[in-house]
Amino acid sequence: MENEKALQPKIDYHLLFILFLLAIVSAIAIDSAQPSLPAKLQNINFASKQLMWYGIGAVVIALTMLIDYDRLFQIAWYLYGFGMLLLLGLEFNAPGTLTIKGAKSWYAIPGIGNFQPSELMKIFLIIVISRIIVNHREKYVEPTIEDDFKLLGKIALATLPPLVLLAKQPDMGMSMVFTAIVGSLVLVSGIRFRIIFGIILAGVVSVAILVFIFFKFPNFFHEYILEDYQLNRFYGWLAPYEYSNEQGFQLIRSLLAIGSGELYGKGYKNLDVYLPEAHTDFIFGIIAEQFGFIGSSIVISLFFLLIYRMIHIALESHDPFGSYLCAGVIGMITFQVFQNIGMTIGLLPITGLPLPFISYGGSSLATYMLAIGLVLNVRSRTKKFMFSSEE
Amino acid sequence: MKKKKKKAQIPFRLNILFFVVFLLFSALILRLGVVQIVYGEQYRKEVERTENVTVNTPAPRGKIYDRNHQIIVDNEPLNAITYTRTQTTKPDEMLDVARKLAKYIDKPTDRVTERDLKDYWILTREEKAKAKITKKEWKQFKNKELTDKDIYQRQLRRITDEDLKEITSDELEVVAIFREMNSGYALTPQMIKNEGVTNDEYAIVSEHLEELPGVDVTTDWNRHYAYGNTLRTVLGNITSSEEGLPREKLDYYLSRDYSRNDRVGKSYIEAQYEDVLRGKKAKIKNITDKAGNIIETIEVSKGQRGKDIVLTIDMELQQRVEQIIEEELMAAKRRGGGELLDRAFVVMMNPKTGEILSMAGKQYTKDENGKVQLKDYALGTMTSAYAMGSAVKGATVLTGFQTGVIKPGTVLIDEPLHIKGTPEKKSYKTMGAINDLKALEMSSNVYMFKTAIAIAGTKYRPYQSLPINPEAFSIFRNYFSQFGLGVKTGIDLPGEIIGWPGNSTLPGHLLDLAIGQFDTYTPLQMAQYVSTIANGGYRMKPQIVKEIREPNNDKDELGNIIYSFEPKVLNRVDMKTEYIERVQEGFRRVMQGANGTARAFFANAPYKPAGKTGTAQSFYDGPIKSKRMTPTYNLTLVGYAPYDDPEVAFSVVVPWVQDSNSPINKYIGRKILDAYFELKEKRQAEKVEQPSQTDHEQE
Repeated sequence: MENEKALQPKIDYHLLFILFLLAIVSAIAIDSAQPSLPAKLQNINFASKQLMWYGIGAVVIALTMLIDYDRLFQIAWYLYGFGMLLLLGLEFNAPGTLTIKGAKSWYAIPGIGNFQPSELMKIFLIIVISRIIVNHREKYVEPTIEDDFKLLGKIALATLPPLVLLAKQPDMGMSMVFTAIVGSLVLVSGIRFRIIFGIILAGVVSVAILVFIFFKFPNFFHEYILEDYQLNRFYGWLAPYEYSNEQGFQLIRSLLAIGSGELYGKGYKNLDVYLPEAHTDFIFGIIAEQFGFIGSSIVISLFFLLIYRMIHIALESHDPFGSYLCAGVIGMITFQVFQNIGMTIGLLPITGLPLPFISYGGSSLATYMLAIGLVLNVRSRTKKFMFSSEE
Repeated sequence: MKKKKKKAQIPFRLNILFFVVFLLFSALILRLGVVQIVYGEQYRKEVERTENVTVNTPAPRGKIYDRNHQIIVDNEPLNAITYTRTQTTKPDEMLDVARKLAKYIDKPTDRVTERDLKDYWILTREEKAKAKITKKEWKQFKNKELTDKDIYQRQLRRITDEDLKEITSDELEVVAIFREMNSGYALTPQMIKNEGVTNDEYAIVSEHLEELPGVDVTTDWNRHYAYGNTLRTVLGNITSSEEGLPREKLDYYLSRDYSRNDRVGKSYIEAQYEDVLRGKKAKIKNITDKAGNIIETIEVSKGQRGKDIVLTIDMELQQRVEQIIEEELMAAKRRGGGELLDRAFVVMMNPKTGEILSMAGKQYTKDENGKVQLKDYALGTMTSAYAMGSAVKGATVLTGFQTGVIKPGTVLIDEPLHIKGTPEKKSYKTMGAINDLKALEMSSNVYMFKTAIAIAGTKYRPYQSLPINPEAFSIFRNYFSQFGLGVKTGIDLPGEIIGWPGNSTLPGHLLDLAIGQFDTYTPLQMAQYVSTIANGGYRMKPQIVKEIREPNNDKDELGNIIYSFEPKVLNRVDMKTEYIERVQEGFRRVMQGANGTARAFFANAPYKPAGKTGTAQSFYDGPIKSKRMTPTYNLTLVGYAPYDDPEVAFSVVVPWVQDSNSPINKYIGRKILDAYFELKEKRQAEKVEQPSQTDHEQE
């Protein structure tokens, strides 16, 4: 009896239920954003299309569940190679390469739509780095500090190639997501805190140096470090009213929309403020204006519950590889949520990152579903041992 | 052992990761709280100010029609030039536009204030303005001891008249335009000029819009009064765009989505029915770019003309009535009615429904050149009150019936009354023994006096004092108020007065009250009073608006009825129907009886009128101050017709006539009734003709 039960994959219904709620939130938010969209998009019903993508996402999850994630361990480098190939294809203008708003990040696939390979690469990177860590840990059971540095080096070697390609597209937002994924994996990998703090310190110092250069040698800074348009993002973020460039403008609109929602919101479909990209990047503004602080807090709490559930799954897993996969997915989703919501309320500079599960968009939703599929897979293969040594 | 250590590390690290996630999400919630709760109101206000700006073509107001669907108040389009500034428009940019605009249009400069000139002077004469501030003060300014505002205030103070003389008359026009541009909020269009914009100006500004950022040419609306001054005071006025919202009701209007420079009804029908007449402005969203320029406008809701109002007034009758009043007033003046006679009022209403068919008043004035003018004073029918004299005797008799001191048929002796401490009180002639009907027919004062004495619970003894129960005053006023005398009639117009009750309780004054010589009433109250008698005791709410209709762009047709005002009974008087019928009979005899006081004027009228005349001794209280308190007579007449099925009730009030025998009230009364029935006949004749025409068409 016990055995039979153990063989059946366990499905985490808590996670699926949270996902279900997010799908509802997404459909409502996109539907209410519809009237604010430009006229040329009016004949597309984005809410129903999003639900269709959720349907496709469900299939993606089901497919992911079919294979044991241990298989992924074996084919990790092939997946990585495939992802790199897609990214390189963009770099060399492979057929179908698409440039939107100056960023060469998409393939146009006839009949399906636009596909962003870096989305897929996020998942592949999580798998590869998890494998690197597992291998390393098995090799060096009692790691010295040198071993830790070795691990860091390996992770860096795997991360840098896609990161360079992303920076060249250019896609600052996605590069930051990659960094966040790697960061959370490094944290969980067990590398000594000394080293982690060292990295953080190095980061802080280099930012300080950059700021110093910016004020002392502005010409040098402009020429070699950041392009003007990148700098403008910071201006727009820090002083939206003085530097009313594109980003400053978006931030002002977004703050107006969210702020005027106040505690209870203006009510369903009562939108006064025009938001750019209302159904994608600024969907949170739409939610916050209509449903106020209460509604938007509920949405943030949903994300928090989602992460909590994934942490739970990661903790329950007996297989380090599974835990690492979860950690990577957690890093990815947390960062995207924090970045997207943070930018709409002026906490972070504006970058073109969608809000996971809520923003309209097929390829990003499919990626998140894939990620959820991975986590569910880890969960389903976690067996409860009768005589667990740990418990 | 080793393995265990390694594995235990992962949960610990995962917990740290979770803690980081928790911190990040808390930061989000915290920041969200700051944006939405702490600064939420601020953002909301900013949104209200900038996001929903009502479009600059004001929606025209609703029109006003008379009961026969003749248009009374219409809209005429007016060329207008507006200016809209954005949040980021700088003063010198506006000045630049003002200068260019001044070349193209003529702008009256009479509204320019000294402050406007000073502001302009500082803006245009930077160096000189700087020189107005001493070096020491500039130093203080640098050390932040003085603010921008302090400096500006000092500059304003130190500008001399000499300085202002530098401003040429050409520049004055720029100042006038500039001040209009500067008023009001950003993104709200300001009227630069909407009166007397010539077609040339309109065209030339239209051609040069490119070089005049913010300037627009649009259409404003002005009220057009198809009947000129007829009923003009009752129709009321709307504010000009310079006046904008009336200051005393600013909050009321702003909370109802008005902009500051909106034109609203400020008096009478225009004000009372503002909600109805007000056009629904098209709402647009202005989407501004980073620089605050409008890049896109989205129409959220379409504008619509205000709803139309159909009045109960019959404009043709109103015109006739006004003409009658004018003629009679002038004729009475010519006959020597006296210099104090300066006004006359008529109210005509349907006694069964309370619908006002005509409310007219004329005031005789002279302009500076001594030229005679008859001004519209229709408002006076509800905003001025006079002693009405014997016309109120119907109410007195009914009060007597109701209190039981007299009964239908009670006979009293009409004789001069001598009361200690009071001048002799009598009727215009001694009538001897008369009953209630005769008393009304011949307008006996003494019959009323004796009734009042009985109500006051006392007895008349010649040459003795008359101790009365002061409560009799309130008994009278209570019953009178059931007819609308001394209380609000409830007309749907603002500013109605209730008249002036006297505050003495002397016995003589009680007797005066009984014959309408003490308390004062408005002509409208008199009409309501006589209607109440005419319809058998129901006090009807006088109504001036009959229907509200959907705006219709088709010129000849009215839109659908949205709301129709039903007749409203304010109260039923306490008196029994037989008592009221008794008074009705008395009123009939006034006009048709052998001794009726109005017999000479009405006995031959085919429409069988009933009514009551009135002559009150009064003291002049008009505009000529030196003549105040001169003894005069108020001549009044109330009535209705036909007496057995009344369809029209009326009151005529002519105050301050010097000759008590002047027939002006009866002339007016006869002529307005004639006019009413003539019009009725004429219209019936037309109605009969029309169907036959359509019959032909069908064949």
